[in-house]
Amino acid sequence: METPNIISVSNLSKYYGSALGVQEINFTVTQGEIFGFLGPNGAGKTSTIRMLLDLLRPSSGEIKIFGQQIYTHSQEIRKRCGYLPGSFSAYGNMSGADFLDFAASLRKTKPRLQNSLIDRFQLSQGDLAKKIKHLSLGMLQKLGIIQAFFHEPDLLILDEPTSGLDPLMQEEFYQLLREIQVKGKTIFFSSHNLPEVEKVCHRIAIIREGELVALETLEGLKKKKLKRLRFTLSHSVPDLELPGASLVVQKNLSYEFLVEGDIQTLLQRLSTLPIEDLTFPEADLEEVFMTYYRKEA
Amino acid sequence: MSYFKFIWKSHRSFLLFSLFFISFLQFLILKLVTTIDTAAMLPQLLEQLPENIKAMLGDDVFSMATVEGAAAAGLNHPLVLIILSLAAIMIPSRHIAGEAETGTLELVLSFPVRRITLLLNLYASAVVFLLLIVFCAFCSSLLSISIFHQLTSVLFVKMLSICCNLWLLFVFVMSLTMVLSTFEKEGSRVGIRAAGVVLFFYLLHYLSSIWDAIRFTKPFNIFSYYQPSGLMNGQRSFLLHSGVLSTLILICLLVSIFQFNRRDIPG
Repeated sequence: METPNIISVSNLSKYYGSALGVQEINFTVTQGEIFGFLGPNGAGKTSTIRMLLDLLRPSSGEIKIFGQQIYTHSQEIRKRCGYLPGSFSAYGNMSGADFLDFAASLRKTKPRLQNSLIDRFQLSQGDLAKKIKHLSLGMLQKLGIIQAFFHEPDLLILDEPTSGLDPLMQEEFYQLLREIQVKGKTIFFSSHNLPEVEKVCHRIAIIREGELVALETLEGLKKKKLKRLRFTLSHSVPDLELPGASLVVQKNLSYEFLVEGDIQTLLQRLSTLPIEDLTFPEADLEEVFMTYYRKEA
Repeated sequence: MSYFKFIWKSHRSFLLFSLFFISFLQFLILKLVTTIDTAAMLPQLLEQLPENIKAMLGDDVFSMATVEGAAAAGLNHPLVLIILSLAAIMIPSRHIAGEAETGTLELVLSFPVRRITLLLNLYASAVVFLLLIVFCAFCSSLLSISIFHQLTSVLFVKMLSICCNLWLLFVFVMSLTMVLSTFEKEGSRVGIRAAGVVLFFYLLHYLSSIWDAIRFTKPFNIFSYYQPSGLMNGQRSFLLHSGVLSTLILICLLVSIFQFNRRDIPG
């Protein structure tokens, strides 16, 4: 039996006056999927998310969530969604506990997971009693996560959900996503952090300057991903060239290459060089855009 | 926590201050009428003023010598109008445009709440808070009249009609601010614009009393539909004033609903 589409976006465009927000976007997200939505700042991620929640009205195109048009069934759809905005902001003069109470009253639902999430993200009663304007960025983000998850929604829409969280809490958050996904819930996860998306997402869409430039499984994207290689030589080597790699920067005896594809031949070549120091950091998302997708665009 | 309770918690300090200040001022003004021999002093003093100044001061000041006049003038005192204007402007500018600016409106509208429901809840809260302030001013006036003068049924009805008229005037100011809020995404800008509009009408109202060339603006001025001394002495029609203000309120409310439903969040 085919897994149903939870989100279905077709020919979606949004213009702000004459400025482009997003253009002719098409994708679907199936039930139980963790769908990564990647792109640099200003690429159109947040505009797309806001249209999914009927906060922004599209210039053209169609959005269906749970098989229903968002514009005509907005309230029913949002009842089954949890949302964490990119820059989570709540009423500064309210306490955290009051805010969760207020959110539950607007949702008209029992926050079944609230207490377990409070324990899980290590928020004390003291933290919850503080006014929101006095909470740190990390605490505020935890509060945002709790309000998005506490009613066990069928669809979670998360915009940069780990910003402000420390590495331990980030791990806890990824674990929570996996547990929710196993229960058949769908997660739409927007980020500009490639390693983070790699950790949790099954399928990934990449948006650049308002256009969808890739829609891949994680495996497909990994194949296309570029790696960066940095090393320092003990003495100079004339006309240094490496198979499957292109030189990006050279400063005295320090080199930086971008590597694509199979690295076995490359490693063989490297073993012949007088290398003093070597690092193989992952290429960031921006770099993938700047190299691979430039030629596609 | 209900939305009404939330609005109350957010603004209670200012609302309580407004409520007590205006009530106290009314009580004090009506008490003062008994302690000073205003009946003898005020007309003589005012007779000395130039005609233009007399026109600008209006009937309120000249009728201050009587209890009825003082009660009407108290409810038209610039401090009362300023405080009520602030109360009327603050709620819509902070909760619609202000929250669009901070991002809170985005979060609230991601909950299963219809935009119209949110707007009407906010509207109803503001209407009730304004009513509460005006009602307390009404009660303190009656109390002061009962203690220091004599409360008659005619005076009671007239005071009631003035307070209703005052409440409608500021519900209109609030509605106008609501309209501006639904178009904007900066709370402070909406607040300044709404306050500017109120101040403009207020100044125009006084200028049109002394300057014939702009007298034609009177029917288009909101302050022409709140004349407490005129209502007290029966020269103005409560029904006409209330009808005009109610119509304007309804138009503003409909425009707000239409615009809020179609606008982008945050905008």
